[in-house]
Amino acid sequence: MTNLLILPILIPLLAGVILIFFKNSKMIQRVISVIASAAMTGISGYLIYAVYNNGIQTIALGDWQAPFGIVLVADLLSVSLVFLAGILGLVTLFFAYQTFSAEREANYFHTFYLFLMVGVNGSFMTGDLFNLFVFFEVMLISSFILISMGSQRYQLQESLKYVIINTVSSMFFIAAIAYIYGVTGTLNMADLSVKIAQLYEQENSGILTVIALTFLFVFGTKSAIFPLYFWLPHSYFAPPAAIAALFGGLLTKVGVYTVMRMYTLIFNNDPIVFQILLLFGGLTMFIGVLGAVAQFDFKRILSVHIVSQVGYMIMGIGIGTPLAIAGTFYFLAHNIIVKSGLFFFAGITEKITGTTHLKKMSGLLKTHPYVGWLFFITAISLAGLPPLSGFFGKFALVIAGFEAGHYFVIAVSLATGVLTLFSMMKIFMTSFWGEEKLPDPSAKERKVGKLILPVLPLVALTVILGVAAEPFFLFSLEMGEQLTDPSYYVESVLEE
Amino acid sequence: MEVLMIFAIGILFTVSTYLILTKSLLRVVLGVLILSHGAHLLFLTLSGLKTGAPPLLGEEAGSYTDPLPQALVLTAIVIGFGITAFMLVLAYRTYKVHETDNFDELRGSDDD
Amino acid sequence: MSTLHIIPLAPFLFAFLIPLFYKKFRHIHTGWFVLPLPLIIFIYLLQFLPLGGTAFQPVEVTVAWVASLGVDFTVYLDGLSLLFALLISGIGTLVVLYSIYYIANKRDEPLNNFYVYLLMFMGAMLGVVLSDNLIVLYVFWELTSLSSALLIGYWYHKERSRYGAQKSMLITVTGGFAMLAGFTLLYLMTGTFSVQEIIAMSDQIAASPYFVPAMILVLAGAFTKSAQFPFHIWLPDAMEAPTPVSAYLHSATMVKAGIYLVARLTPLFGGQAEWFWIVTGFGLLTLLWGSVSAVRQKDLKGILAFSTVSQLGLIMSLLGMGSAAFHYDVIDGESLYTVAILAAVFHLFNHATFKGSLFMVVGIIDHETGTRDIRKLGGLMAIMPVTFTISLIGVASMAGLPPFNGFLSKEIFFEGALNITTLDMFNVETLGFLIPVVAWIASVFTFVYSMMMFFQTFTGKHKPEELPKHAHEAPVGMLISPAVLGLMVIVFGLFPNMLAYTVIEPAMQSILPGLLGEGEQFYVNIYHWHGLNTELLMTMGVVLIGTALFLNFDKLQQTAFYLGERDPLNGAYDNGLTGLISGAQYVDGVQMTGKLRHYFTYMFVFLVAVLSYALIRTNAFAIDLANTAQISPYMFFIILALSLSTIAVPFMTKRVPAIILVGIIGFLVALIFVVIRAPDLALTQLLVETVMVVLFLLVFYHLPELRKESFKPVFKWSNLLISLSVGAVVTITGLSAHAFSHGHDISPISDYFVENAYALAGGENIVNVILVDFRGLDTLLEVFVLGIVALGVVVLIKYKASGREEV
Repeated sequence: MTNLLILPILIPLLAGVILIFFKNSKMIQRVISVIASAAMTGISGYLIYAVYNNGIQTIALGDWQAPFGIVLVADLLSVSLVFLAGILGLVTLFFAYQTFSAEREANYFHTFYLFLMVGVNGSFMTGDLFNLFVFFEVMLISSFILISMGSQRYQLQESLKYVIINTVSSMFFIAAIAYIYGVTGTLNMADLSVKIAQLYEQENSGILTVIALTFLFVFGTKSAIFPLYFWLPHSYFAPPAAIAALFGGLLTKVGVYTVMRMYTLIFNNDPIVFQILLLFGGLTMFIGVLGAVAQFDFKRILSVHIVSQVGYMIMGIGIGTPLAIAGTFYFLAHNIIVKSGLFFFAGITEKITGTTHLKKMSGLLKTHPYVGWLFFITAISLAGLPPLSGFFGKFALVIAGFEAGHYFVIAVSLATGVLTLFSMMKIFMTSFWGEEKLPDPSAKERKVGKLILPVLPLVALTVILGVAAEPFFLFSLEMGEQLTDPSYYVESVLEE
Repeated sequence: MEVLMIFAIGILFTVSTYLILTKSLLRVVLGVLILSHGAHLLFLTLSGLKTGAPPLLGEEAGSYTDPLPQALVLTAIVIGFGITAFMLVLAYRTYKVHETDNFDELRGSDDD
Repeated sequence: MSTLHIIPLAPFLFAFLIPLFYKKFRHIHTGWFVLPLPLIIFIYLLQFLPLGGTAFQPVEVTVAWVASLGVDFTVYLDGLSLLFALLISGIGTLVVLYSIYYIANKRDEPLNNFYVYLLMFMGAMLGVVLSDNLIVLYVFWELTSLSSALLIGYWYHKERSRYGAQKSMLITVTGGFAMLAGFTLLYLMTGTFSVQEIIAMSDQIAASPYFVPAMILVLAGAFTKSAQFPFHIWLPDAMEAPTPVSAYLHSATMVKAGIYLVARLTPLFGGQAEWFWIVTGFGLLTLLWGSVSAVRQKDLKGILAFSTVSQLGLIMSLLGMGSAAFHYDVIDGESLYTVAILAAVFHLFNHATFKGSLFMVVGIIDHETGTRDIRKLGGLMAIMPVTFTISLIGVASMAGLPPFNGFLSKEIFFEGALNITTLDMFNVETLGFLIPVVAWIASVFTFVYSMMMFFQTFTGKHKPEELPKHAHEAPVGMLISPAVLGLMVIVFGLFPNMLAYTVIEPAMQSILPGLLGEGEQFYVNIYHWHGLNTELLMTMGVVLIGTALFLNFDKLQQTAFYLGERDPLNGAYDNGLTGLISGAQYVDGVQMTGKLRHYFTYMFVFLVAVLSYALIRTNAFAIDLANTAQISPYMFFIILALSLSTIAVPFMTKRVPAIILVGIIGFLVALIFVVIRAPDLALTQLLVETVMVVLFLLVFYHLPELRKESFKPVFKWSNLLISLSVGAVVTITGLSAHAFSHGHDISPISDYFVENAYALAGGENIVNVILVDFRGLDTLLEVFVLGIVALGVVVLIKYKASGREEV
């Protein structure tokens, strides 16, 4: 059964390679990448079930046991994220089919998408720090290509910055691994957890804090925390909506995942680190939402909102109690769903009006009521209003934050919620409300058609995760327990 | 020797940071390249520059240098090469479209 | 799930059917389909009214919802929630009926939207008043904010509607978030979100440091919702909503939610001096501010809006005053201070009736004449006699004239205010005398605007030329609802005690529990005539001074304050909002400059700041010269050459030498690999470096020659400083890590590879064995990355999207 663990990595890898040879057949490309994504989702769904019932599953590749060989680890967090990635991949594909040019698909879009998934799933599941670096690079190089594909003027300019910043951060990743390997002589994350805990007992262990924060620089850049997020807002604006949705929903979350893993499993007991996480979590959410308040472009608002929402998650990790981790995961899952959904809406309105600038369109609610209302639900969910998915994650974080005595950062998070609502309502009230004013007269009759289909499951999920939150939240709580006690992870990985 | 190496690595990081903070496309890319050298050397240095025999079992030596960092750095070098190559091509494309190699001019909106 | 659970949920479920009705039966006004629902709820709830004169037994039913967070959907029906639920469903029925005539079934009138919002709103309101669990209450609370904003923005093509909707949403949701924080603090103290359980623990938690913060946060929610000063500014702008909505939101529902919450939590916070002063103080301030501002208005709905603000302040202040009752014994079901609570409950009911009818009447006037501007209106008495009669009743009740219900509650209000001055705690001795004074002044202004509204509309000269429409009496259907409410004003004015044991006593019991012994009840008996007491003298004073002021109204209007209509406090909101946006744009502009070097500057500053903070905080710096390898002479020279050539790179002014120099650095690194016994690495490095140099030369051959960097000196130095700091931090961390790694005895895992490379994996080159076997996945992926790059380069060069046909 544990051999299943390799499949979420292997399936997209093989499918992607196969598709290189079917460059010119749109049909085969589409069918295979949908099947691959569905298989990934299905397998990870089964893995969730298995891990929930039987505990953490591991596989030692090449049968070299941890900590010597590379292990893949399926705990609740990693399999859930792989599952969410699969769902997101599926809806993105369907959205892409409606919006992409044949040329883009013929230029290996599917292959790169699948390779991206290899990197993403691998990053979630690997139990080895250096292997994480390698999967990161697989993910990054695929993302570099996906984001620059098409070579539009603006796109190239912002992609180049994206590539350079992320490469520099990768170099610091190597430096950070160098530090930690120099100190511990190991790379397996479970082994690191044990050894770092021992080393903290030593004298002069302050260097461990410094190393932990070097990792924060690296993972903070990937997850776009303040002030490391500059690569994100402009570069996500450039590519088509489907790619922006995939990136916006998923890529920064890989960064957040690593932060979560790093500071729950390895450096889980360092007050200075948690203090800094809280500080920058608060700054990130607030500065990020200010960016959203400042913008008047649909996609740009969404892009900077990613940053703001990452701040919530960093704050949750910084609080660090089981409830906070549960809330963080709930928020993370919610965000993957809602954020990609919102990017789809940006794509839909752009399809209708030909623009993403808010001031160039208004009155869409009258001409396209379904789009308007579905957007409304998603938007208020993002702002954390009940009874949608955004509320419960935030609510758990508020309780956890107060319990831990972090009043100020929670106050900041609530204020951020107000500003989030403000910026989302800005979109709704200027573009969907107002006198009917569309850039071209034919826009009024332009039908959205099947484009609305991919957002339906996402909207449904945000409603279900809100109205029927209990089972999902119980699951998150279980995960919170599993993550805040590293011994679960350590024992399942290092057992003979 | 480690201490000396670390100082040299410090110089590599300093210079590459300086280059990355300039406006010129070429200098920035060169900076990234130097940074990667610094990171790789740091890895090998911190895992100990014990001058044992090379990690080849045939050498019949009493001790070997730590083989794992070597393997990892090798992987990192190759990956770094791939990424840098892509970056170069992207830089070239960007230059062709924008006709500037000045990063200060590579900005602005897409309203063209 | 019981029937009581269905009550708040039914409107939501029913809302799903509305678009269907709207589509299928387009020729029938959608309102007719909606009408039965609130009526059924109202009738169903009537059965809970205690008619036998016995004490009301609360009903409680629970369904689990998100139990892991302590959130259960518990419906708790006691006197207080029953009163509110009846008002919500009862007035809801009348409003729906009224709206059927008010909003014509025109071809593109989105009635489906209107009724969906209205039903959502109704369900949310019912949910607020029926939930025992604070979080469920909060959920419904935010839904009222949301649905009311949608109702206010129903005519969303109008700029003012959008403005009003946004304003009400921002203010009430902000308050809601504060309230959520307050509820969470209550949870931390008690471990439950159930109001009844929390109240039961109120004695134990009163000393907690969270207690007063929780109180203030909860009040922030209640005050924003109930439009208390200075948060009231959203309410006048909410008048952009269709009038049936205003009648509903501002007479009986939305704004009363805050009142409800304060009443509901009085048993918890009521004994505290902070609560007494905050609630009473803000209430009185709102009362005064609202009534004084109402006189400034020229728009009938504007007058009613500020009147609502003022009356909400009145009820709020009564709840504050009445909270003093917890410190005194109740004798014969009555005490000096329970009177205030009696007044609050009674006036709440009365306000719903007369204000509801007045809003509807104003809607009729607007509908039939086309304007609500009192300067254009006049002489409508003869033209609209029925409307006139209903208005007379409503206005007289609002002004506090006998024999209408408003008179009675105003008398009791005065009584409560006077009683409070006898209180001998909370420092009432010092400022307490102000309470009846403020109450009286506000009542004078209430009298003035009531007169103004009435006389300027119905008496004087009819000016048909100023009216957009030809004025005539409204259709019967439109008059039914205000007439029913007007009738109630009279009936309950004449027979107030019909309400006493059915509605008021049970509600008082909920607000002031624990004051009565087992089986006791509050004893409420409302009289019209108490003899010539202070209260009556106050009322007479109100009428006299009010009439005098009204007669000199022209002069009053010339004063500077009365020249404008808009509340000066709006400036704070409007400037705050534009300030927020421009501030945000400034912050955004400072960071997102688009210049890569700025981005890197911020990032490196973060790196340096965070790492040096940790280095200093933990005193981590250490250096270990003992455990180092011997420096061989050629190694020394290689390192020297490496350092020097690296330092030289920034000084290169030509591209080819720069590239070659970096190539040399690469080769030097390869040499180091040789020295430190890493032959495989050295080979790889040499190969990669050679290819890289060729690639660089190829690419940069096409790019322009390097230019001198033209930085301002400040950037030049700051760049240098940042680079040196990055280098220093990396070095110090490296040195300390090196020193630390020798301070412990954890052995690296690599010993395993040395031991097992041949035995288990059958290879002699350990590095190769690790690469292809122990860590084969890394190597596989490494090759994979190269493959992706190759494919990516092809795509990057070949494919250029044409224009923006994709999204």
